[in-house]
Amino acid sequence: MIAGTAVPFKKTFAAVSDEELNYKIPAYLKNGDSIGITSPAGFITYEEIQPATQLLQSWGYKTHAGDTIGKRNFTFGGTDEERLNDLQKMLDDPKIKAIMCARGGYGSIRIIDRLNWTKFKLNPKWIIGFSDITVLHNHIHNNFQIASIHSKMTNSFPDDWNLAEPIQIETIISIRDALSGKRMKYPVVAHPSNKQGVAEGVLVGGNLKTIETLTGSSSDIKTGGKILFVEDTGEYLYSIDRMFWNLKRTGKLTNLKGLIVGGFKVKPDDLGEEFGKTVEDIVLEKVKDFKFPVCFGFPVGHQKNNFALKCGIKHRLSVTEKEVILTEII
Amino acid sequence: MRITIPPYLQKGDTIGLVAPAGFMPIEKIQTCIETLDAWGFNVQMGTTTHSSSQNYFSGTDEERLADLQNMLDDRKIKAALCVRGGYGVSRIIDRINFKKFIKHPKWVIGFSDITVLHSHIFSRYKIASLHAPMAAAFNDGEFNNPYILSLKDALEGKPAHYECKPHPFNKTGETKGQVVGGNLSLLAHLIGTDSDIKTRNKILFLEDVGEYLYNVDRLLIQLKRSGKLNKLAGLVIGGFTDNKDTERPFGKSVYDIIYEQLGGFKFPICFDFPVSHAKENFALKIGVKYKLSVTDNASVLQEI
Repeated sequence: MIAGTAVPFKKTFAAVSDEELNYKIPAYLKNGDSIGITSPAGFITYEEIQPATQLLQSWGYKTHAGDTIGKRNFTFGGTDEERLNDLQKMLDDPKIKAIMCARGGYGSIRIIDRLNWTKFKLNPKWIIGFSDITVLHNHIHNNFQIASIHSKMTNSFPDDWNLAEPIQIETIISIRDALSGKRMKYPVVAHPSNKQGVAEGVLVGGNLKTIETLTGSSSDIKTGGKILFVEDTGEYLYSIDRMFWNLKRTGKLTNLKGLIVGGFKVKPDDLGEEFGKTVEDIVLEKVKDFKFPVCFGFPVGHQKNNFALKCGIKHRLSVTEKEVILTEII
Repeated sequence: MRITIPPYLQKGDTIGLVAPAGFMPIEKIQTCIETLDAWGFNVQMGTTTHSSSQNYFSGTDEERLADLQNMLDDRKIKAALCVRGGYGVSRIIDRINFKKFIKHPKWVIGFSDITVLHSHIFSRYKIASLHAPMAAAFNDGEFNNPYILSLKDALEGKPAHYECKPHPFNKTGETKGQVVGGNLSLLAHLIGTDSDIKTRNKILFLEDVGEYLYNVDRLLIQLKRSGKLNKLAGLVIGGFTDNKDTERPFGKSVYDIIYEQLGGFKFPICFDFPVSHAKENFALKIGVKYKLSVTDNASVLQEI
């Protein structure tokens, strides 16, 4: 009875939504904490994750390679059962404080509805990855409001840290910053097509194609009041256009606070099938009726300049003539 | 749910040709025109069928929208045949005015990208439309094949009766329901939009072309996860042609993938039904009630 009467009270006086009240941030990592590495999608060899494990260890973390590392079932890092069990174990093991997905590819969607989130909800931990891992980020965000880290995975760590390019080093360091609880702040050079403005909201997003294929499911993100970032690779321009129509037609742009367009590696048009519009044209056409700020060329995507972003955490996006700044605000 | 069936065509009726999506060179429409003419129909060419467009589309959004709008509004035109799919209907669908079309329904014909029109018309206005071969299918001497002729029969109002061979993945059974469906990628793309179809108690048919195997898997999972298969009456799997695979092979055939994702349901399933981007593409009236009967000997899809 008391709880029943308390609900409308909270609703009346709270300036934020119920969803926002429930946002949870997993514990940031401390020296000696363990990071689990698993393949919920594509396969990877044990050798391929060595640069990542060595670097994570040099940062003072322990690493735990899951059973799926080195496993292969065609394109997958093991059968559905093997990938499910490995990820499940990592979600449930209280000693593991963060789970880094070894790589993307395809496969998370095949196991998402069979994962048991009971222990994870009680003891949230960081889930790290991008591309196909967008499934995990969006599922967790929509169902549990638990923050997660959209970033490079083990297959993007440089083989030799001493020979790595500065951008590789900076992006990998951004994962450490995110995991250790540093407040994220990314200044980016302004793009001529940007739409100026300032927005505050919880950051959500990921791979655009993956976001589209989650529409209508329990993993579909709500974007009202939030800042959305999208990126994609290997898609034709017509397909990118169709996906932005999907965002618009499913209402994902309607109450959006801000839009961050990351890298779009475009598949060249077939001869005689020239689409005749750029990615910027495609996006600006869909957002022309909206006032929220939009920035292009943000360093997130299937590219070297892919910085760690904390999904499910409030950020400020400031798009001015001179620059774009994305800042975490708590 | 009640459905409005547009009037069937009489000899001398006019069929409008329109290209609401990709560009189609006029010479590739010629056999289609001649065939419709030979069937006793008048043909009216839309402006998009002789477009001067130099890019992917058969004209700007405004040009394609205006042409399609005219086809829908002009009462002399009894059917609008889309000459080609490709991509482009999603760009104009929300700007089409269906007011006159609702008052005076007519057959909208096509497949592939035209799935957007079919789904939109069915879910919003409960008007039947025709998933059928388009202009290119008439070429290369194919204007007289059973699939092209099924379009003629459909336009003339002859009830369809299609039979196909059994397939080892079939799930036998008999069911009745309105037929809905089309191109899998587009049906998935429409989920959550105004054009999304409800599939409860319906017979759903699916086909696709040129998709990566992993993506077919993902799209089917999306259908499942969005509840599209929960109360389905029956499922018709057409052709999934020219599939692509990733460098690291997916390891399953496209029908293996479909069977794995969809075989667990109770409703009857017919594989390898002749609806596809290949020659085998029977005309199906979306929104019209059919009986699907899947037995060990044959599958029959029959209009009732």
